[in-house]
Amino acid sequence: MKFIRVNMTDKSIRVQDVPEEYSGLGGRGLTSIMINAEVSPKCDPLGPENKLVVAPGLLSGTPLQNTSRISIGAKSPLTGGIKESNAGGTVAAALGRLGITGIIIEGQAQERDLSILRVDKEGEAGLIPARDYKGMRTYTFVEKMIELYGKKTSVLCIGPAGEYRLTAASIQSSDIDGHPCRAAARGGLGAVMGAKGLKALIVDQRGQSPDPIADPEVFKEAARAIAKAVKAHPEPGHLMPTLGTAALVAPLNSMGAFPSYNARKGVMNGWEQISGEALAELIKKRGGKTTHMGCAQCIIHCSNVFVDTQGKYVTGALEYETIWAMGGMTGIADLDTIARLDFLCDDIGVDTMSTGVGVAVAMDAGYKEFEDGNAAIEMVEEIGRGTEFGRILGNGPAAVGKYFNHPRVPVVKGQGIAGYDPRAMLGNGVTFATSPMGADHTAGNVIGLCLQGKLDPLKAEGVVEISRNLQIAIAAFDCTGHCFMATVAVLDPEAGEPFRKALSAKLGTELGPEDFPGAMGVRVLKAEREFNKRAGFTNKDDRLPKFFYEEPLPPHNTVFVISDEELDTVFDF
Amino acid sequence: MKIKVKLYGTLRHRVAGYHSPQGLEVEIPDEATAKDLLDTLKIPGHRGAVFIMEGRILNADDKLRHGALLDVFETIHGG
Repeated sequence: MKFIRVNMTDKSIRVQDVPEEYSGLGGRGLTSIMINAEVSPKCDPLGPENKLVVAPGLLSGTPLQNTSRISIGAKSPLTGGIKESNAGGTVAAALGRLGITGIIIEGQAQERDLSILRVDKEGEAGLIPARDYKGMRTYTFVEKMIELYGKKTSVLCIGPAGEYRLTAASIQSSDIDGHPCRAAARGGLGAVMGAKGLKALIVDQRGQSPDPIADPEVFKEAARAIAKAVKAHPEPGHLMPTLGTAALVAPLNSMGAFPSYNARKGVMNGWEQISGEALAELIKKRGGKTTHMGCAQCIIHCSNVFVDTQGKYVTGALEYETIWAMGGMTGIADLDTIARLDFLCDDIGVDTMSTGVGVAVAMDAGYKEFEDGNAAIEMVEEIGRGTEFGRILGNGPAAVGKYFNHPRVPVVKGQGIAGYDPRAMLGNGVTFATSPMGADHTAGNVIGLCLQGKLDPLKAEGVVEISRNLQIAIAAFDCTGHCFMATVAVLDPEAGEPFRKALSAKLGTELGPEDFPGAMGVRVLKAEREFNKRAGFTNKDDRLPKFFYEEPLPPHNTVFVISDEELDTVFDF
Repeated sequence: MKIKVKLYGTLRHRVAGYHSPQGLEVEIPDEATAKDLLDTLKIPGHRGAVFIMEGRILNADDKLRHGALLDVFETIHGG
């Protein structure tokens, strides 16, 4: 249980035991509570006062499977508010095995200086000059790190977009195969890392000094029960390893809730060509991998490996949100183009979702035609080259909208929406509007409840309460490092018992349902809301863009009907 | 009555004689419900099958309509 505090101004590194006020916190809980406590809400997010906090979950590094989610937090240069973005890969498990609770990057290096922070297998941290890697794209960079430090190396790094400090820049996370195809993509954390003068955090995976588990026997038994529940559940046990999250393309179109052509329609022409089913068939035909272990200790294998007609690697883990943003929003019904765009974003180090939405806004403004795949590729390449338009696109959809004076920009708090149109899925509209993170599907996604028939996506009744409860639950699970795909199997109150047992056994504190997810989730959300309030956010920021209230979405021809007063009750706790 | 069914996800491989993308024409009694169709297709309830007809998610006891196209999915919680 230690923090590594790295001051980029004077290059000093301080290791400290976790202070009492942060005890029992991990993942998003740690990043958000620390940012709220230690970062001035009015600070320049790209200046020395901001902090970048990297935190594995409370269960990362334990033998419990599917616990390698890394949370990264800071004040966001995209939203101006608090940000936590989490990613899969291997680094969270690696840090957990070293007993590292958090790495906090503070201060700011001198202009044009660039470093790598390396943590070795003993948990010793050191800064290494990285000027030779300036401007390097992420795939090449990770290859070089693995050449230098060996295969058992986890990498979190930025690409050119982060170095340019673009506000949709991501932090890429290496997967099991050493591909930087996982991302803490949202909110421009790559720009914060770039502004600090940090190219990468690299961690040796061979650590053997994890924090002790308070009750190892109970933990082991609970972990076994969780694994059984995950394997037996139809979603993580069967659907995810078959199609991955791309399975969402078909139901979202069938429901008429797939924001297409910059959210002008709810069904995309030719969506069948980019569905999860089409993706799996194409990958299989070409000899890629329809099921693939991307993250450490994963038993679900929702990932995939997309290859070209020659069977050569194009990109890893082509997922729903990317297919939607790069396909649905742009009207590009071609998986090869979408896969290429996914690779480019990962390689340049920029959020696929914000970028896809930004491309769609540019197309909607008349800059290029919808469905023009080559134009989309060229636009994204411009981010990597750092051209004037590339920098605008790399600053996210709101910057693109401003550049073209285009009014139809689907963002909340400056962050692009995800692949669920608020007019045809009101519950996700509530989450997008109110999440302290800006429009964020991971903050509380109602799609599962809609498909289970527990929530009518077009009816207002009950959506505020459902969004509230989901946001609380997710905020709590985001503290643990547990992957959402596995969390699906333990979300129900009864199924959640073994998970609570595992967490209690790890921490040595008996947790009841009121403690987890309840109190933990509320505590995190309160800290995030408090930070945003002090940063100057008001309830007026918890709203969707005007066109969602005014412009009916075909085929249902409905608008977003949740009133401002109702939205203001989401966080009544 | 006759309805056209399209299966998605792993369900495509669970129903004998199913060919995508043509789908499947199923003959079921008039007044049949979504649950009845599930039984006809021999899809176990615990698979979490979801029916969407004309953009609307059906409940188990919702009646089907002659000539309708039904998309059948498995529940998924997000991406």
